Amino acid sequence: MNPAIGYAALIVVSVVTAVIGFYGLRVSRTTSDFYVASRTVKPWWNASAIGGEYLSAASFLGIAGLIVISGIDALWFPIGYTAGYLMLLFFVAAPLRRSGAYTIPDFAEARLESSTARYVTSILVVIVGWFYIVPQLHGAALTIRTTTGLPSWVGAGAVVLVVVLTVVTGGMRSITFVQAFQYWLKLTALAVPIIFILLTLSGGGSGPIIPAGTELFPPPEAIDGGSTYRTLSLLIALLFGTLGLPHVLVRFYTNPDGAAARRTTLIVLGLLSIFYIFPTIYGVLGRVFLPSLAEGGSPDATVLLLPGALIGGLGGDLLSALVVAGAFAAFLSTTSGLVVSLAGVISQDLLGGSVRGFRLAAVLAAVVPFGFAMMTDSLALAGSVGLVFAFTASTICPLLLLGIWWRGLTDAGAVAGMLTGAVLCGAAILAGSRMGMDSPWRDVLTQPAAWTVPAAFIVTIVVSKATKHRRSASLSRFMTKLHVPERPLAQENPRSQAS
Amino acid sequence: MVQSLIRSQLRLGLVVTAGFMASLLVCWALVRWVPLFTDWRILGVPAPWLLLGVGAYPIIGICAWLYVRAATKNEDQYRDLVEEK
Repeated sequence: MNPAIGYAALIVVSVVTAVIGFYGLRVSRTTSDFYVASRTVKPWWNASAIGGEYLSAASFLGIAGLIVISGIDALWFPIGYTAGYLMLLFFVAAPLRRSGAYTIPDFAEARLESSTARYVTSILVVIVGWFYIVPQLHGAALTIRTTTGLPSWVGAGAVVLVVVLTVVTGGMRSITFVQAFQYWLKLTALAVPIIFILLTLSGGGSGPIIPAGTELFPPPEAIDGGSTYRTLSLLIALLFGTLGLPHVLVRFYTNPDGAAARRTTLIVLGLLSIFYIFPTIYGVLGRVFLPSLAEGGSPDATVLLLPGALIGGLGGDLLSALVVAGAFAAFLSTTSGLVVSLAGVISQDLLGGSVRGFRLAAVLAAVVPFGFAMMTDSLALAGSVGLVFAFTASTICPLLLLGIWWRGLTDAGAVAGMLTGAVLCGAAILAGSRMGMDSPWRDVLTQPAAWTVPAAFIVTIVVSKATKHRRSASLSRFMTKLHVPERPLAQENPRSQAS
Repeated sequence: MVQSLIRSQLRLGLVVTAGFMASLLVCWALVRWVPLFTDWRILGVPAPWLLLGVGAYPIIGICAWLYVRAATKNEDQYRDLVEEK
């Protein structure tokens, strides 16, 4: 690929991101602006922003790469990524918005009246965020390496630099605009090239054609217990991991009320459903036209290279530039969303909650995963993000679900459950990565959600029952706040009083 | 009264989740175990690919829409009860 494409795309996306960030800066002044954009963001903007933030390297590059490697089984990934929002809608969106807390640790403290529970939650949120940023930086490294031939650290470093600059100068208000823009950029960057590719392929002219007798859609591999367990465990991780992701949750506080939080989620589901059609098509075509990528060990580059491989000349170059720009939008948006929410947690719990503390925390939130990404090799992007979901589902998910819906949850139960989930899931992932390919324990350890999530729930419930005397004194008042709808007249959304 | 609102919202969430899980299970069984379905092609695309690549998303959308409608109704009923008092 022509290296100029990579440079141009990187520079354009970075500059546009920064410009929108600075534009948004003019309306953000107070600490509250920095954290949650004053809660004045409209559902459509907010939903686009959530979509922009959520569609990470794993969605943009990883799914197509996984389809190239494992065929139809990979389609469960985008289904799980989307359905996670369904669980969020059912059990978390509206009550969490009404809780009035800024972050997950705020929620833990308000619900459990315990600074220990808050502290443990904070640490877990930071771990989740850091490990979610690492695959984004791996994706950036891969993209820069593939398109310009520059060393890996340049790509990851550029992402960290742009993100820290926008977050430090703009806070969350401008991030909302940047994220909303980046959803539509990502969608365009996948949709436009694939339309041209499909037109070229069906044109039957001098361009590339699908060789006769090629099976575009290989049937699923023979079924065995292992693959059934993997699919099941993956779905548990994705369904219950999404509702604990710190950068997703912080977005819900920018809705004016609980009903708007639900409406936003509904729009997000639509946006994600449209988006996920496209990586699938890239994956299917990548299997046929770029099989060498899978053999060469970088199937995640499929999306980046497919337009250039199938469409020659200037048109191919332009479409490639568009895809690379979309990929950078994915790394930038997810990373900045995570950095904002991590900085919120780090600054409130360690640095006193000032705007200056927030800026320092933002640097800290981005630089640590950068170091980690440089020390590790990139795995399959979709797979490594899947592990973060498993970890979140085993730690934050029991706290949120039981905290919102079960009066019996105590601080001791929540802490015990979170620690159990963290230790089991963390140990399983570490042990699984050292396990030989043919070991019978490999599936159980590399897809741990199916047993670590129930274990965390059981420990939380049992310990809570054993420590009934520790139930928080303000429990009834807090539960009422979570579940009782806001007064419709007080808010600027007429539809919540309809029907 | 708040307790009954919480209970009905929770019940609603669990029922829709169960319905959604059941439909995923049906999708999975169709793709894995029904040869008639796996051999079926629409415009050259095998039915399992269409089902998992496209068809699963409307199911998610319908579940979400049903839930939002019912949850809003629960809250409206609660509001009416409170105002009657």
